[in-house]
Amino acid sequence: MVVIITQEDFDPGTINASIRPEMGGIVTFLGVVRDDGIAEIELEAYEEVALQELQAIREDAIGKFSLLSVDIIHRIGLLHIGDHILLIVVGAGHRQQAFMGCEYILERIKMTVPIWKKETLPGGTRWVRGEY
Amino acid sequence: MIIRMRAFAQFKELIGNDLQVEIREGADVMVLLRQLAGNNPKVQEAFFDPSGDLKEYVILMVNRKRIQRDQAEGVTLHEGDEVAVFPPVAGG
Repeated sequence: MVVIITQEDFDPGTINASIRPEMGGIVTFLGVVRDDGIAEIELEAYEEVALQELQAIREDAIGKFSLLSVDIIHRIGLLHIGDHILLIVVGAGHRQQAFMGCEYILERIKMTVPIWKKETLPGGTRWVRGEY
Repeated sequence: MIIRMRAFAQFKELIGNDLQVEIREGADVMVLLRQLAGNNPKVQEAFFDPSGDLKEYVILMVNRKRIQRDQAEGVTLHEGDEVAVFPPVAGG
């Protein structure tokens, strides 16, 4: 199982939950750069804290939803339309646990992991507003 | 004493990402932020509202642990501490 923050692209097909006999479902979330009229987007992170927070979210989700495996890869750096941003792969005994666990991890990432996005538009740049 | 200051997103563009700041012994986080803002009106406007309070979107960490804005006065810093300041996160 992996928790990674990286500038490198990843192949979602190569990150599969290690299937165990008690596993009944694997849910994968793949976030990609949406075309909101932007030319490109740059992601930056407070890497030391972001990694620590991703690991804490993973542990929390495993406990809350009895998950059997969780892999998380978050990209940073300069990305373009369609590029991969985030991969979450969750394995659980039953589909409900896997779906709920995956969504929980995603929402927690959006709320607490110190990563920011700066969009480049035809007229300039803007930071994506976070919630507080 | 020297403090390591980290800033991210909009705040990084104002003060830099990773800098060493010299402040007086016994200073707290608010002293550090006011010192940074004192030399730069744009930083003052980004960090503080007109009444001098920290703006509600300012997030603070000391040694990679979150502190609340109302703790900025009172959390005493020590040589080599790492203070981070950043706006609300937007990953995922």
